Amino acid sequence: MSTPRGPRPGAFPPNYNPDTLAGNLQNLRINQSNWQQSNNAGVSGAPRTSNALPFGQQPPPFAAGQSRPPPPGVFQRVPAPPVAPGQSTLRPDVMPARPTGPTPVSQPPPFASRPPPPGVLPSSIGGSAAPPYSAIAPRPGLSGSPTPPQMSSNGPAGIGPPAFAPRMMQSGSRPPPPMGNAPRLSVGPVQSPTMLSSQASSQPLQTRPGFGSPPAVSSSVGQPGPPFSTFPQGPMFSGSSNMPPPPGSLSFPPAHQGTVQSWPQQPPQVGPSHPTPGAMQQQQRIFGMPPGPPPFPNQSMALGQTVLSQADPNHIPRYSSSSAVILYETRTDNRANPPPPTTSTYIVKDNGNCSPRYMRCTLNQVPCTVDLLSTSAMQLALLVQPLALPHPSEEPIHVVDFGESGPVRCSRCKGYINPFVKFIDQGRRFICNLCGFTDETPREYHCNMGSDGRRTDADERPELCRGTVEFIASKEYMLRDPMPAVFFFLVDVSMHAIHSGATAAACSAISQVIPDLPEGPRTMVGIATFDSSIHFYNLKRAMQQPLMLIVPDVQDVYTPLESDVVVQLSECRQHLEILLDCIPRMFENNRTTDSAFGAAAKAAFLAMKNTGGKLLVFQSILPSTGMGSLSAREAEGRSNMSDGEKEPHKLLQPVDKTLKTMAIEFAEYQVCVDLFITTQTYVDIASLSVVPRTTGGQVYYYYPFSALSDLAKLSNDLRWNVTRPQGFEAVMRVRCSQGIQVQEYSGNFCKRIPTDVDLPAIDCDKTIMVSLKHDDKLQEESECAFQCALLYTTVYGQRRIRVSTLSLPCTNMLTSLFIAADLDTQFSCILKHAADEMPSAPLAQVRDKATNVCINILHSYSKFCATRSSSGLLMMPEALKFLPLYTLALLKSNGLRSDGRIDDRSFWLNYVSPLPTPFVIPLVYPRMIAIHDLEAKELEDSIIPAIIPLSVKYISDEGIYLLENGVDCLIYIGTSVEQNVLTQIFGISSVEEISNQFILEQYDNQLSKKLNAILNEIRRERCSYLRLKFCKNGDSSGTMFLSNMVEDHMPSGAAYTDFVAYIHNQIQKKMT
Amino acid sequence: MDFTELEAIEGLRWPWHSWPLSKPEVSALVVPLSIMCTPLMPFSELPILAHEPVNCFQCGAVWNPYSRIDYTTKIWVCPFCYRRNPFPRSYDHINENNIPAELFPTYSTVEYHLGPAPSSGLGLGMDSGLGRTASGPLRSNSGSFSNVSAAYSGTGEWSGVSGGVGVGPAFVFVVDGCSSEEDLGALKGELLHIIARLPENALVGLVVFDAMVRVYDLGFTDCLRAVVFHGGREVSSEKAKELLGLHHMKQSIGKTSSVQKQGFLVPVSEYEFNIITAIEDIHSSPLVKTGHRPLRCTGVAISVAVGLLEGCLINTGSRVMVFTTGPATVGPGMIVDSDFGTAIRTHRDLNNGYASYPRKSCEYYKQISQRLSESSIILDLFACSLDQVGAAELKVPVESSNGFMMLGESFESEEFRKSLRHMFDRDSDGNLEMAFDVTIEIVTTKDVKICGALGPCISLQRKNDTVSEKVIGKGGTYIWKLGTITSKTCIAFFFEVADEQKSQPSSAFFIQFITQYRYSNMGIRKRVTTAARRWVVKHSPEIASGFDQEAAASVMARLAINKTEEMFAHDVIRWLDKMLIRFASKFGDYVPEDPSTFRLSTNFSLFPQFMYYLRRSQFMDVFNSTPDETAYFRLMLNREGVVNSLIMVQPTLFQYSFDGPPIPVVLDVCSISPDVILLFDSFFHVVIHHGSKIAQWRKLGYDKDPSHESFRELLEAPELDAEQLVAGRIPVPKFIKCDQHSSQARFLLAKLNPSVTQNSTYSEGSEFIFTDDVSLQVFIEHLQALAVQG
Repeated sequence: MSTPRGPRPGAFPPNYNPDTLAGNLQNLRINQSNWQQSNNAGVSGAPRTSNALPFGQQPPPFAAGQSRPPPPGVFQRVPAPPVAPGQSTLRPDVMPARPTGPTPVSQPPPFASRPPPPGVLPSSIGGSAAPPYSAIAPRPGLSGSPTPPQMSSNGPAGIGPPAFAPRMMQSGSRPPPPMGNAPRLSVGPVQSPTMLSSQASSQPLQTRPGFGSPPAVSSSVGQPGPPFSTFPQGPMFSGSSNMPPPPGSLSFPPAHQGTVQSWPQQPPQVGPSHPTPGAMQQQQRIFGMPPGPPPFPNQSMALGQTVLSQADPNHIPRYSSSSAVILYETRTDNRANPPPPTTSTYIVKDNGNCSPRYMRCTLNQVPCTVDLLSTSAMQLALLVQPLALPHPSEEPIHVVDFGESGPVRCSRCKGYINPFVKFIDQGRRFICNLCGFTDETPREYHCNMGSDGRRTDADERPELCRGTVEFIASKEYMLRDPMPAVFFFLVDVSMHAIHSGATAAACSAISQVIPDLPEGPRTMVGIATFDSSIHFYNLKRAMQQPLMLIVPDVQDVYTPLESDVVVQLSECRQHLEILLDCIPRMFENNRTTDSAFGAAAKAAFLAMKNTGGKLLVFQSILPSTGMGSLSAREAEGRSNMSDGEKEPHKLLQPVDKTLKTMAIEFAEYQVCVDLFITTQTYVDIASLSVVPRTTGGQVYYYYPFSALSDLAKLSNDLRWNVTRPQGFEAVMRVRCSQGIQVQEYSGNFCKRIPTDVDLPAIDCDKTIMVSLKHDDKLQEESECAFQCALLYTTVYGQRRIRVSTLSLPCTNMLTSLFIAADLDTQFSCILKHAADEMPSAPLAQVRDKATNVCINILHSYSKFCATRSSSGLLMMPEALKFLPLYTLALLKSNGLRSDGRIDDRSFWLNYVSPLPTPFVIPLVYPRMIAIHDLEAKELEDSIIPAIIPLSVKYISDEGIYLLENGVDCLIYIGTSVEQNVLTQIFGISSVEEISNQFILEQYDNQLSKKLNAILNEIRRERCSYLRLKFCKNGDSSGTMFLSNMVEDHMPSGAAYTDFVAYIHNQIQKKMT
Repeated sequence: MDFTELEAIEGLRWPWHSWPLSKPEVSALVVPLSIMCTPLMPFSELPILAHEPVNCFQCGAVWNPYSRIDYTTKIWVCPFCYRRNPFPRSYDHINENNIPAELFPTYSTVEYHLGPAPSSGLGLGMDSGLGRTASGPLRSNSGSFSNVSAAYSGTGEWSGVSGGVGVGPAFVFVVDGCSSEEDLGALKGELLHIIARLPENALVGLVVFDAMVRVYDLGFTDCLRAVVFHGGREVSSEKAKELLGLHHMKQSIGKTSSVQKQGFLVPVSEYEFNIITAIEDIHSSPLVKTGHRPLRCTGVAISVAVGLLEGCLINTGSRVMVFTTGPATVGPGMIVDSDFGTAIRTHRDLNNGYASYPRKSCEYYKQISQRLSESSIILDLFACSLDQVGAAELKVPVESSNGFMMLGESFESEEFRKSLRHMFDRDSDGNLEMAFDVTIEIVTTKDVKICGALGPCISLQRKNDTVSEKVIGKGGTYIWKLGTITSKTCIAFFFEVADEQKSQPSSAFFIQFITQYRYSNMGIRKRVTTAARRWVVKHSPEIASGFDQEAAASVMARLAINKTEEMFAHDVIRWLDKMLIRFASKFGDYVPEDPSTFRLSTNFSLFPQFMYYLRRSQFMDVFNSTPDETAYFRLMLNREGVVNSLIMVQPTLFQYSFDGPPIPVVLDVCSISPDVILLFDSFFHVVIHHGSKIAQWRKLGYDKDPSHESFRELLEAPELDAEQLVAGRIPVPKFIKCDQHSSQARFLLAKLNPSVTQNSTYSEGSEFIFTDDVSLQVFIEHLQALAVQG
């Protein structure tokens, strides 16, 4: 792909090739054709379901739905309300085609190339019938995603045989390993090859100890060969790390064996490719066992548990991920299935509960009493991401139109009709599952009851059989006509911005994004620039030169004639392009160093006040004039704050309330501000960020900004910002069953009344944390429901209500709670709470608190649930076994480190606030892969190679490593990398040639192509065009890279092993 | 000597040419001692001197023919203060046979032309008023004093002398963006026409306003750029400068030599293309809510334009020219809400005090006037609208800066085009005929005290011992300021005699007018007029014979309209009546208590008639006029000379008939006749009125019939005359052609003396006026009756 609008000539060094990486940005574009592709992928996946016939247990509706050709977004409702029209046009936001490269599922080649799968399948299918625990929720997933890398010890030896041996033993010791997985297997034969292939991709993990086990099992079953094909890599590791194989590793197999026997019947709901983890997870294992993916217990089962021996400091859980695709059904047999880990790739089949993408609870079983909850020391919260991107293969959300009357709602709590509403009295009345009130069924909605106690039409009505539906909002949900999609760009043109190239970059980015704005008369744009005054541009001037209107009064701003400043895109497209081309030139001699951010934002706001919309601000320096101006605060530029500093955390707070007040006003008029900070200095993000945070926007931070290397990221961030699925003028509310109520919402929004969240704009990347509290006891046998309703306007001007309902079982058992804990969500909450507290509490306190949460939870577990009470062992619930690791990583993250720049920390806090759960873990525990040996690896269907634990131990001097956390992407080049590799990847002959501004290009060789493919895949996954930074051993960039090695000792925290030991100690103390 | 002949020499009209010595005597004259002064009256023979005038060291009077000169001791004695001044060195060689032009006895008026002052001295007129550079070094290039022709007359040299100062006058065009596209089109055409004809060194600024004010940055070449001001917020001078980025210039006040780097006011020569582009870019602002007037912030626009000029430290003279088509509806200066539900104020509203906006607006514009005066800025108003635009409120700044005001109907109209182009007429040297930064100073003999002035000027509040305690009009000073001045501008100055008279009857007293201004070529000019009159004793017949009833009438008219500012019109009329009765009693010849014996001598006889028509005029009787129109009429009356004032007060009427050449006829309804054509001129309107028969013949096409050549000539004659009237007059009068009994005839009928009304006995064929107003005859009868009552 090439960028049609490349950067302006002359702005880039000769080696810059816009057709390589920059061009790949296109991957992030969402466009119809792309969507079509992914949709087709979904269609091609359909045969799977038909092939899946063997699974007789599949509820008919699902099968029926699946067998339908392309999944219709609109559910045809025969009797009463009409169907929402124009589904296809609405689709982009119904199911927002995540920009996809070739997804594993839709990739045919592996299929063809693999003979074994067909053979494997039958056996697995056969096995599927066997296990009694058919109701077990699928906990498929990562082929060993959060897998304790105990193998690290034998990793060095890691060359085939030794490493492999235990695995073989495991598999051998297990009953019929692959078959055990099969029972819930909802994957048809067509899919299986991909599953297998993905598993193959995880083969390389073997070289990294600890990852190998799951694949090993499967390979032992059907694919003995492939794993070894990856061996060439092995030596590299063995060579680099001199660790002898720790003895501990040898001790595992027996232990493991024992556990396996004791837990023979834990069949994981995984595709055939992930048999082992499932099998393992219920075991109470000594740590270091071939790890399963995060535990996944049936509720009735005993809990999984990880025991960490202090004596074996190396055998601690290590995070990993898998690229295997998991098929996940939200409910089976009318029980909620615990969701797969957020970092895994999964396809959701919504059959009652909403997809975990939209709403996830920290606990997959709800404690009946507040005492139980507080004993567990865990917290109860929901992470809601109402517009999350679905997997392309998932069924689109059904759009239901109830016509004039609007959706059926409970007359008391106003909850929306959902699958858990109970119809009684021949369907004449229904009991609201949220408040328990009995409502009359509206006459036109009445339907007879079937023998199973459900309405006979339940399966035809999406709102009665799907956890997530969208209702077309009727008139009563509109205070005014749905607002148009307004995009207003505000660009800093002060001297600094001009000189640093930020203005040119912003203009170029805007220019590139214009063709991607939604088509149609409802899309309106405006543009303004500002320095110490604000410059609007009259866009309604066909064929004339631009007219710049300067608003000089930055203390009390106003806007010149709204009508000509914000105009329909179709009217001004050309004009806008010319203008954007002109702006950098017009201001090239600008000598104004001041910047009136606040005033400019206010003025732009006034221009769009009538409609609301998105305000995208490109800011380059500290706003120094006009309303809401800021001054460099005490510790401004200083990179370190001395300990003596009085309340250094104050610097993380906004200076005053001016911007807050302004932001609230913005929100009131549905204006959402996104802030692109392209700076080389301190800009007081703590103060500035208040505006985007309050208005549902976000902060993008480019520091230190380089026009050269950041342009691509800037334009991609901008493109994603405007093209991603999003909604305007939204209001969100979460309702809970009686006994639970919402305590607090937190995220980027404006709260005017306590029960609702006002979102001038919301998009697929925004998550809102909803803390819950008990106000009553829950019944043990009952289910507790959570319903999130989001009323919003689509970019195409339709008012919709997206309702996601999640119904979870209640429990009185502490052990169940631990089994049902959702680590990713739990940790997200810990992280977000820490971020929330940062500005108001001393850093040490926040750090202690985070650590204590970890300690308390593990203590509670050890005290009340642990089956083994050996004092020398640290007991951890299987579900939470990574909690210490993540906690440690959190302590070492940018935000909680004391040595970071204030702006970096502020940005971190802001970034974290709306961060979707799947991105939380990578943020603190980045993904590192080796890229120098890509050529050697058989990646097959999974583009991204296996990840490496974050420790210097795994970094070789000859290696090149890529580390990404969703924001930045660091490429670390060892000192003695083969020149051949350097040339292939970077086109250089020596490491010295790499500068800060180096730009990665694609060269015509396998290695380079693969690397680019990987980068693009990561970008696609993260929905972000990571900033590429090159790090060399020995200089500051290298130090920066190494500061990500969270498992190692560093100033901001202890080494992983030490930390675990510390936690264990603390728990020990508490126990006694 | 005829008064008008005298005026042609002095430029002065004196209601009283001989002044009595005592105060009671003066007040008995009824018409106050005053002079209608037209400072720049064109003279057939005006000596132009290219050197600085020589001033008296004590009173500042310019050396003039009335001073006694002792050539031997080289001393001249000031006729005003009797101070003995030595000759300046350059005058050493003068003697009885070789005297400079300013001392020629026949030259009561001389004009000094000084080159554009060096840049450092440009602040001259700013607030120091008269740059009375006491006898600065005389220019030596005037070789022979007696040789007037040697005096400087060109301009080319001066621009050479001025060195780097190539900066000319500044013009800021303030354009109403709410105008219709047609109006704007016409206006833009005219502006471009003017731009093309401006002198190279002229500076131009462009301000467009609707609900906002846009100040165009004409120096910016990459695109059109304008600074926007909020129309609803008052913009102070400081604020405007700050927002335009001009505030910092204050600090660099010492070096104003180079043009500041800003693009709001740019020289035409360099930026003509930008200026043209910007003007062509003006478009009608489309945003008008139905049922609403367009949002216009005229007040802020003017304030910003003034602020711009202030910020640019323009001291070369500048005009803010406002082109508007409607009332201000937002911000300070607004006169009405934008909602059509509220009507624009009427006279009744103003009288009742119902209108709050106009009151605030007037206050606001008073401040603007002050700023205009301080920076010597002229405010012109071109209002082309069928509705009112707020001229009544804007009158204050326009008048005090002697700016131009015209009320028209459309920018497409001929009146507008002509008026605007006339302003930019050039003299024989190619300079704009435009003066800036004008001051008028009066020096008088000790016994004459200055009371004040009525006219388009502002008092500089500078006092000396010739300034009287009594104030008439703009008083309390001996020096006044005008933004600009034309050859027609006429100011009435009022005087009184000192309490203790030391002068002897029949001795002379002197009054000297020193008018200093900056000509459009940036040269400083001073015109000095010295007049001498005699004191007379009580009851001297010279008083009566020295009475100029026309001048007296125009002085009374100015006094009357001045009184309307504070009093209701009917009170003013009552005052006029009282004055007239007193006047008649004083100067009439009658037997007490016997009206029939009442007589007035010829040089008093027309005065009552003038007063009669003044009472009926639109200046006093506001019925049928909007406040805007009234303001406009009064403004014009207050600045025009005696002749034109009288035409306004008592229009002229000429009759064209087959009987002979055109003859003036009485302004009476009986002058209307079916077989004559009347040419009526009321200054604002010129009406050709065809009698019904004439109209009928014309409709029958007789004028096209060669056999009725005389009829054609009869039809053409008044039109040719009317054309001449219209051509020379600025603002261009409205030209109306109408037939007897047509609706347009009302312009004529309204002004005629209603000697025949619906109540009169009807006589066949005669015209009558439907009114209850008293006729001149009845009025005079009453006057006589009252005058003789002692």
